[in-house]
Amino acid sequence: MSTNEIIFEDVSKFYGEVLGVNKVTLHIPPGITSLVGPNGSGKTTLMNLMTGLILPDRGSISVLGLSPRDPEHLMRITGYATQFDSAPRWATGLEFVSTGLTLYGYSAAEVRERAWRALELVGLTDAADRKVAAYSKGMRQRARLAQAIAHDPQVLVLDEPLNGLDPLVRADTIALFRHYAAQGRHVLLSSHVLQEVDLISDQVILIANGMIVAEGEIRDVRDEISDRPSQFILRCRDASRIASLLFNEDHVTEIRMNDDHLGLLVMTRNREEFSRALTRIAVAGYVIDGVIPADENVDALYEYLIGGGRA
Amino acid sequence: MAVYRLGYQRYQGPLTTHWQRLLVLPRYAWRRLFQQRLVLILLVASLIWPLLCGGYIYVSHRLDLLGSLPGNLKDAVEIGGKFFLVFMDVQAVFSVLLAALAGPGLIAPDLANNALPLYFSRPLTRFDYVAARMATLVGLLSLITWIPGVVLFWMQAGMAGWSWFAVNWYLGAGIFFGFALWILVVSLVALACSAYVKWRIVAGGLVLGFFFILTGVAQMVNAVLRVGWGSLLNPARSHYILWSAMLGVDLPPGPGVWPCVIVLTVTALALALVLERKLRAVEVIS
Repeated sequence: MSTNEIIFEDVSKFYGEVLGVNKVTLHIPPGITSLVGPNGSGKTTLMNLMTGLILPDRGSISVLGLSPRDPEHLMRITGYATQFDSAPRWATGLEFVSTGLTLYGYSAAEVRERAWRALELVGLTDAADRKVAAYSKGMRQRARLAQAIAHDPQVLVLDEPLNGLDPLVRADTIALFRHYAAQGRHVLLSSHVLQEVDLISDQVILIANGMIVAEGEIRDVRDEISDRPSQFILRCRDASRIASLLFNEDHVTEIRMNDDHLGLLVMTRNREEFSRALTRIAVAGYVIDGVIPADENVDALYEYLIGGGRA
Repeated sequence: MAVYRLGYQRYQGPLTTHWQRLLVLPRYAWRRLFQQRLVLILLVASLIWPLLCGGYIYVSHRLDLLGSLPGNLKDAVEIGGKFFLVFMDVQAVFSVLLAALAGPGLIAPDLANNALPLYFSRPLTRFDYVAARMATLVGLLSLITWIPGVVLFWMQAGMAGWSWFAVNWYLGAGIFFGFALWILVVSLVALACSAYVKWRIVAGGLVLGFFFILTGVAQMVNAVLRVGWGSLLNPARSHYILWSAMLGVDLPPGPGVWPCVIVLTVTALALALVLERKLRAVEVIS
C-alpha cells in the first residue's frame, strides 16, 4: 500500500437506495487536486469517505497507507474543513481553533501557539477574540480553514474552501495551498469556480453521477478526449493567408477568424500534425505571434465530459 | 507530474494520553453547565437530602439525645439497608431531574449545528465521543448520588465503629454499584433523547417522560391486568428492586431480581443502539 498517495480501490457507497459513488478507483498523488462535478455528483461523499466520516459499502480506501477506519492515526495527518458552519455559538475564533487542537493531545502552550499561527495564516488574528457567530460568511470560512490547518496536516481536505472569500484573501488562501503542495502535501478541494480550479490545480478529478469521469493533469485528460477536436488560438499578422494554408491540412476541421483579422481559432483532430503544420508555415516566412490552447482547461473538460448544468 | 520538495515534517513532540484528551469534552461541558443558574440551583437542592441524612446519622449516635425517646422510635432511627435505600430512592429522583436539565445540551446542539463532522475530523471515534459525553453526566450525577452516599456510609461506619462496618460493609458496595448502574441507565436515556431530538427542551421533556410516564404505564398494567410484572416496564422500579437486593432489604412485591437485571440490560442495549444509529458524522436522509 502506497504511503504517499490517497488510494480508492473499487469504492462504492450507497445511501439506502441512493447512489453516493460507484466503483471509484483513484490514485491521488501529492499536490493540489480539485474535485469537480455538478451538485450531487459525489464530491462531498468522496471527501467524507477519505476522512472516515462515512465508510464504503464496497472497496477499500487508504490515505498515505492509513485506513479511514483508524481516526486515531488518520486524523493526526488529515485536516478537514466541511462546508457547514458548525462552530459553537459560545466560541470565539481563537477558542474554536484551540478547542479542536486540545483533542489532538498537544500541551496548552502548544495549543495556543498553533491556534494563533493558524489564525495568522488565514488572516483572522484581528478577530480572534470575537465570537465566530458574529463573523461574516468569509470570516467563518477562514475560521473553518484555520481549524483544519492548525495541527499542520499532511493531507488537507477542503469542501468549497474558496466560497465567500474576498479576492485578496482568496489569493492568500491559494498561495497557502500552493505552499502546502510545494512541501509534498496533499491538498484536495472541491470548487464550483472552474477558472479557479484551472488556476490552482495540479490535477483534477471530474465526477458525475457518482462515477469518475476523468482524473489526472488537465493536459493529459484533454489529450484523452479524442472525439473532440483540440482548439487553439493563433495570434498572427496575416490571418487570412495562414487560415487558407491551414485549410489544406486534413486534420483541421474548423477555422474561425477574429474580427480584428489578427487571430484565428483553429480546431484540429491531431495536435502533432497541427504543430508540424505551424512549423512549416513559420518556416515559410509567416509571422505567428502566439499559440494558446483554448480548451486545455477545466471549463472545457467539464463541458466535454459532463456537459449540461455547471457545478 | 509536478515534482515536490518533500519538506513537510510531522509533529514529533509530546502528546497527552488518550483518556486525557477525552476529558477535554466533559471539561468544556461542565464549565458551560455550571454557568447555568438552574443547574446550580438543582445541584444545591439535590444536596439538601444528603445533608439531612448526615444530620440524622449524627443524631442517631447521640444516645444522650435519644434517651428520652420511646423504644419503637429508637428502632426506627436504626441506620441500615432500609435507611440507605430511602436515601438512594430520593437522590434518584433528583438525578433524573438533573439529567433532564443537563443531558439534552450535550448532543442535540452538535446534531443541530452539523458539528459531528468537526468532532470526527479529530483523532476521536464515535465511541470516544459517546464516552466523553457520558463522562459529563457521570461526573455531574456522581456529585449527588454515590459520592454523598458513600460519604454517609463512612460517616455511619466511623460513628458506629468497626463491628458495624464488619457486618454492614456490603451497604457501601451496594450504594456504589447500585448508583453506578442507575447513572449508566439515566445517562444513556439522556444521551439517547438528546441524540434523537435536536430540540433541547423537547429532549429534556423526553427524559422526564421516559421515567415518569413509564412509572404510570407500569402501574396501569399492574392494576388493569392484576399482575406484578408490569413493574418491569418502570426502570426506576427495577432499580429499586435491585437496590433492595444489594442492600439486603426485603424485596418489594413484584418481579424478582433477575427479571429486573434482564430488563435493565435490554434497556441499556436498546439505548446504546439508538445512539449508534443516530450519531453519524453524516446524516443520511433517504
